[in-house]
Amino acid sequence: MRNFRILFFIPLAAIIAFSGCGKKEPVIKIGVSAPFTGDQASIGLTILNGTKLAVDQANAKGEIIPGYKLELVPIDDQHNPTQAVTAAKKFVSDPEVLGVVGHLNSSCTKPASQIYHNGRLVQITPASTNPDISKQGYDTFFRVCATDDLQGPKAAQFAFNELGARNIYVIDDKTTYGKGLADEFKKAFEKLGGKVLGRQGITQGDKDFTPLLTKIRPLNPDLIFYGGIFPEASLLIKQSKDLNIKAPLMAGDGIFDMTLINLATPQAAEGTYATMIGTDVKSMPQAREFVQSYEEKFGPIGSYSAYSFDAANILIDAIRQAGTTNREKVVEVLKSGKTFPGLLGQTEFDANGDTKNKIVSVFRVKDGKWEHVRTV
Amino acid sequence: MELFFQQLINGLTIGTIYALIALGYTMVYGIIQLINFAHGEVFMVGAYIGLTVILVFGFAAGASLPAALLYLLVILLISMIVCGLLGVLIDQVAYRPIRNSPRLVALISAIGVSFVLQNAVMLIYGPMDKGIPQIFPDIKFIFGEVTLTLMQLIIMAVSLVLMIFLNFLVQKTQIGRAMRATAQDHKMARLVGINVNRIISLTFFIGSSMAAVGGVLFGLYYHTINFHDGYLAGLKAFTAAVLGGIGNIPGAMVGGILIGLAEGLGAGYISSEWKNVFAFVILILVLLFKPTGLFGERVSDRA
Repeated sequence: MRNFRILFFIPLAAIIAFSGCGKKEPVIKIGVSAPFTGDQASIGLTILNGTKLAVDQANAKGEIIPGYKLELVPIDDQHNPTQAVTAAKKFVSDPEVLGVVGHLNSSCTKPASQIYHNGRLVQITPASTNPDISKQGYDTFFRVCATDDLQGPKAAQFAFNELGARNIYVIDDKTTYGKGLADEFKKAFEKLGGKVLGRQGITQGDKDFTPLLTKIRPLNPDLIFYGGIFPEASLLIKQSKDLNIKAPLMAGDGIFDMTLINLATPQAAEGTYATMIGTDVKSMPQAREFVQSYEEKFGPIGSYSAYSFDAANILIDAIRQAGTTNREKVVEVLKSGKTFPGLLGQTEFDANGDTKNKIVSVFRVKDGKWEHVRTV
Repeated sequence: MELFFQQLINGLTIGTIYALIALGYTMVYGIIQLINFAHGEVFMVGAYIGLTVILVFGFAAGASLPAALLYLLVILLISMIVCGLLGVLIDQVAYRPIRNSPRLVALISAIGVSFVLQNAVMLIYGPMDKGIPQIFPDIKFIFGEVTLTLMQLIIMAVSLVLMIFLNFLVQKTQIGRAMRATAQDHKMARLVGINVNRIISLTFFIGSSMAAVGGVLFGLYYHTINFHDGYLAGLKAFTAAVLGGIGNIPGAMVGGILIGLAEGLGAGYISSEWKNVFAFVILILVLLFKPTGLFGERVSDRA
């Protein structure tokens, strides 16, 4: 037995001995963090892929600061706030990391933003929409997507005016994002004169929502609004159809993913509405090249592919303009009020770090696909 | 009132699945006084095997009802055999070598097995939710305001048949008698010529195959499966086993159904936000006021 143990230590010793040797090329690291495993991985990976594409393209064009190459450092946050904070600490403690693209979930972005702020590290989220995050006074926080205080009211207007919904039921998943969006929607919908028949929370990871839906059915709502992400939404849709509930489900950007349709089955998902914090990327002529090279590498373009691509490019651009590997300088460039061109148009950050270029559009499931209804 | 019946159906459906899983906990506990915490994972593996069979054989949606029932039979049989063997393997590898160690050692080993299985499935099938194709036609039975889907009916029927069969096996057959004897006293059972190790393996096989059925039905009902789904379902089934009186087979069945009903009615009438709390409140209450459970006749403390 003892011999085996020695055998185990030899490679370990070798790794320790050699890791110090060899002149390493100087690099600038860009962190990216979102759920890359688990039930939300299919949208989390669109963030990883979008960022990766931007970094690869920048490297192919040459060094952004003379002598340095870009390197992507992905860390999986498993949509768990604790893991997100751990990821943030890892990024902050590595001096070569100059900026982070992430996270997906507002509940992760919010606690992590404090760590980034203390480490003076720029964070650009392509997806977290909770409005409170940018009101914490952290000047390292930036966001390229619209927020829920816009998405919620826009969704409410669409439901009230276009769909003619008057009586609705609101469900949320009790997370920062889900609850925040549902609150904004409910507030705006009631302001328009609509009636909210009830409001209930569910738990992420739960599978059986039939008791809640059974309770909703006799209320006969025109629409069910859900604040949350697609794994639970797909089950809500499927189970409500099984219970013969006629009301369609409407939700925010968190359900805008093909996986929703696959999990809920195309028949049940038909007529589901989602608002998206941005526009239909596929219809934009300036995005054609991006869509093509993305789909060649990673398959069909997903919810946040374009947003994370833009976020990463803005970050790379800021590092280039800063011209040093000093984190503080990168923060200053982004704070300076410059505009950054990208797929989504001209991105300009306001004093809170939010983009001034806020668009919300509505999508609907038709024939098993997400169809762009219109920009609202 | 219609609402109540609908909630009853909802609760019964998930309750029978809990009952199937709870059987494995209770049988293994009855025979070697071990809480097999890897059992929830066997349930999850069962669902994945079911998915694999559907994909390999190409069982597609839109089949007629008799064909779909035949598919189900094939899926269940394969999943039961694979998971049954997995259960036996787990026992051989992780529990048998430490059979005479303190109970806590085996418990820790069980938790280790649970991690291994979760991560193995994640590596094999990937970390994302897997959609499970619908193999049954979309049939609903509507009684006034109450709807019962074909899938719900099948879940209840399959579970009921299996529970009756298991009860018969344990109470009326030679094997069942050997199992009960082993549960009472290993040494005495050995003295009267029972191969105790084989009976333990058999118990693991049966318990795990019941979990496999639960897993397949769970997957077909919710259409999606993830590698960590075994954790919560396993914990609730464990609660069901404790509620019924751990070690007692009819207790596990009744316990499972009661947990399902408590969840369905609690979430429906009180609040869906607290859905997962109801099962565990019951666990705490049972442990405080009737630790032997509803049907537990003795506090077995002889190990």
